[in-house]
Amino acid sequence: MIIAEWKPIPEMVDKLRGHKKVLLVGCATCVAECAAGGQREVETLAPLLRMAMQVEDNPIEIHTKTLERQCEWEFVEELADTIGEVDAVLSIACGIGVQAIAERFPEIPVYPGVNTTSLAIREAPGLWTARCAACGDCILGETFGLCPVARCAKGLLNGPCGGTRKDGKCEVDENTDCVWYLIIKRAEERGELEKLAKIRKAKDWSNSDHGGPKRMIREDLQP
Amino acid sequence: MSRDSKFDLDIVVLYCRQCVADEFAPPSSVSGAGFVARFVMIPCSSKVEASYVLKILAEGADGVEVVACPDKKCQFLVGNIRAEKRIGYARNLLEEIKMGAERLGMTKGEGLSETQLTDIAEKRAGQIKPLGPNPMKGENR
Repeated sequence: MIIAEWKPIPEMVDKLRGHKKVLLVGCATCVAECAAGGQREVETLAPLLRMAMQVEDNPIEIHTKTLERQCEWEFVEELADTIGEVDAVLSIACGIGVQAIAERFPEIPVYPGVNTTSLAIREAPGLWTARCAACGDCILGETFGLCPVARCAKGLLNGPCGGTRKDGKCEVDENTDCVWYLIIKRAEERGELEKLAKIRKAKDWSNSDHGGPKRMIREDLQP
Repeated sequence: MSRDSKFDLDIVVLYCRQCVADEFAPPSSVSGAGFVARFVMIPCSSKVEASYVLKILAEGADGVEVVACPDKKCQFLVGNIRAEKRIGYARNLLEEIKMGAERLGMTKGEGLSETQLTDIAEKRAGQIKPLGPNPMKGENR
């Protein structure tokens, strides 16, 4: 899922200053799963922002709405009836959702209430860890289902650096597994360690961010 | 509300039904020196979400006290522990927006009487007093 985290409240307040009626919009999909932008977070943030604005003597009216998916036009359209009643939107969906609202309703300022950080999995209750970097050239088939692009601090593709701790943790963070330690361990458990010695073609980074904004086209799905 | 009690601190006490005495028949509110306590029974302290207490404060209550069962006495085993974490989370948010973490608190107890619950509310009111009334109160603006 796409992971996001609330921006600091003062940063949100700074953006809302000068507005009188704001629509706080959540998204019931990825950001709900990571407890940043779902219905529950909308209900938590709305009173919080009202109080924050009141404390600095800038009372504000906050309307709320949580869309099923803020990245789909059909759901974004649900805002059409209410958007005219407010003078700004604060979205706590990922950056895609924020841009979808801004694109559909260009006449109104749309502010992000979260920072979108990664593609991650809920590893345990209250803990999400990155699993994918959307690099555009997946090598999971060669790394035993563990991604060194997203999970190695150095993005190493050919084995661990010299900094792996004795307990298999990364030298950068004692709470983060060295993904190459995990890859090698899994290869050993499968009895296929020799597969990691295979010479691979250089990874194609042209389909990643390095290649510029991406477009995906399926002509058979186009009208 | 009379003029004399205009500035009484309004304390909402959310208490777990398991932590009060069996014969406890809760009044809707009790007035004390400088505060009014409003009692709301909840099935378990773990039912309290951060959004609930923030909404109560945004509606103008001066303070909220969540009363939970003692450690290892929760009928749902870890309900009070979860509530404690959520209250801590909400307190941090209140601090971040400069409302004062003191406006929200949590107490653990069992077999509590009306007097004891009122004492808990009074204690919360005492911690809130230096902060003054909730800025969300229209009448105090």
